Amino acid sequence: MSKYETILSQLKDVAANPKKAMDDYKAETGKGAIGILPLYAPEELVHATGYLPMGIWGGQKTITKARTYLPAFACSIMQQVMELQCEGAYDELAAVLISVPCDTLKCLSQKWKGTSPVIVFTHPQNRGLEAANKFLVEEYKIVKRKLEEIVGEPITNAAIEASIKVYNENRAVMREFVKVAADYPQIIDPVARHAVFKSRMFMEKSKHTALVKELIEEIKAMPVEPWTGKKVVVTGILVEPNELLDIFKENGIAIVADDLAQESRQIRIDVLDGEEAPLYRLAKVWQRMYGCSVATDTKKYRGKMLLDMVEQTGADAIVVAMMKFCDPEEWDYPVMYRQFEEKGVKNIMIEVDQEATAFEQVRTRLQSFVEMM
Amino acid sequence: MYTMGIDVGSASSKVVILENGVNVVAAEVIQVGTGSSGPQRALEKAFEVSGLKMEDMTKIVATGYGRFALKEADKQVSEISCHAKGIFFLVPEARTIIDIGGQDAKAIRLDNKGFVKQFFMNDKCAAGTGRFLDVMARVLEITLDDMAEYDSRATEIASISSTCTVFAESEVISQLSKGVSKENIIAGVHQSVASKACGLAYRGGLEDAVVMTGGVAKNAGVVRAISRELNREVIVAPNPQTTGALGAALFAYEEAKR
Repeated sequence: MSKYETILSQLKDVAANPKKAMDDYKAETGKGAIGILPLYAPEELVHATGYLPMGIWGGQKTITKARTYLPAFACSIMQQVMELQCEGAYDELAAVLISVPCDTLKCLSQKWKGTSPVIVFTHPQNRGLEAANKFLVEEYKIVKRKLEEIVGEPITNAAIEASIKVYNENRAVMREFVKVAADYPQIIDPVARHAVFKSRMFMEKSKHTALVKELIEEIKAMPVEPWTGKKVVVTGILVEPNELLDIFKENGIAIVADDLAQESRQIRIDVLDGEEAPLYRLAKVWQRMYGCSVATDTKKYRGKMLLDMVEQTGADAIVVAMMKFCDPEEWDYPVMYRQFEEKGVKNIMIEVDQEATAFEQVRTRLQSFVEMM
Repeated sequence: MYTMGIDVGSASSKVVILENGVNVVAAEVIQVGTGSSGPQRALEKAFEVSGLKMEDMTKIVATGYGRFALKEADKQVSEISCHAKGIFFLVPEARTIIDIGGQDAKAIRLDNKGFVKQFFMNDKCAAGTGRFLDVMARVLEITLDDMAEYDSRATEIASISSTCTVFAESEVISQLSKGVSKENIIAGVHQSVASKACGLAYRGGLEDAVVMTGGVAKNAGVVRAISRELNREVIVAPNPQTTGALGAALFAYEEAKR
């Protein structure tokens, strides 16, 4: 096995076994882990405690217990999270951090069935105002105080600054990885690409950065081969399970850029350097966020952003991975669709349901789409 | 030169044998689909009718849900592309195709060269598909083939408001218990199918000629309901169940000529 294959295999293992990643971290550091629900959170604050921030983005369970608490039209991530909560999957976490940018998250945050303490905070939606930053700073102060109570130690400004550096570096390296993955689709197929992103949710970020840096170096040492298949930009919340990504691979589709909430939206905005206090700079990230369905955007920039991504990457088309029953994403779709059509950019919507076990409809859609192109 | 297209659907298996990319020498349908004896029986029937055998086929293209399970096929092409190909061959003025099969419904937009410009499919839901009609026919104790005739005798269209097959079934039962005639209920069932299919067609933008294909196109009641909903003429493809297989046979011919 070559070095890059070894690194990819390591990252795939982490992505597939978050529990083991958490147990290893606990054994190594003596500290615990704190869960973080979609979509955005000041993860740097958690990192600054020395605890491991663990992304909680659902799973691939058959939904039974969650039906007691959620209606059938709650998105599949929330169904999965509820199911896993009911099974006690998150009970080893020292705390769970929940932001509430959509109705389902708001409701879920109020009926957490696990035993871990829950820290809920709100992103202001009138984001353009300076008052929004001030509001979010106050929210983050509450988050910080609660974290301190849970871990039993103060979170110093110096620790937050150090974590900001770690996260900014990880985001920069991941943005570089996205470009490398686009240049080497024969090596970084859609499943491997997703694993590199997903593993960052379960690893201490400086360790993840080091591995991805090494991976990039190894891959860049190889020649760039021409890609005979199609290239796409993918947008949505996430593309899982891996069987769905396998269909991209089967049809010779390379993902050359993404706007997935679980992937590139997490690395889009860095925390700026500056004289302001770290909590204020962390809060400003939300104001500077763009192209996301849960962050109010009266200019509807997301479609244009995706069209720019198509131009920059030379992609053939856009794939909208629609999270089933995600109304923020569904509201964005007609606007984006019109923008794509006006520019004559080929596009298709596929439905994402984490509980799915049969993928024939998506297979037909993607195969037809490739034939159409 | 003979080429074959085989469309292994969810509810039926269809085979078309084409001579020199022009003449249809066999177009056979068996009313069971993927995972059943349907594909094999459809092949046998097509060979029996044409007097040809497997070795005579220069190329075979498979389409439909069971396209990857057919070992005889040289290539698999999606049913969207195959229906577009088959319809354009039969009706060159077609620009919008509404295809309703056993478990899915599709609206396909074509350009003037017959290439697919855009398409929309139903999500994982039986409403508005052939399966929906199957369920309703069973509840109403009539055969699928009789539905169009009942529809033609309807005096008004009963309201079947639900878009869910299971709930619509209970609505039909409720209408029956209220004494609404089967004719009017069936017209309502057809209207419900039309609403779903037309919703897909509207998303891609409508352009004449609108052609309907797939097994459900054999039901004149659904065709009338779609025509009424779209407020335009709807052409029914000749032998609508086999247009996908015809398209596959045409792709096979193109493949053979390469």
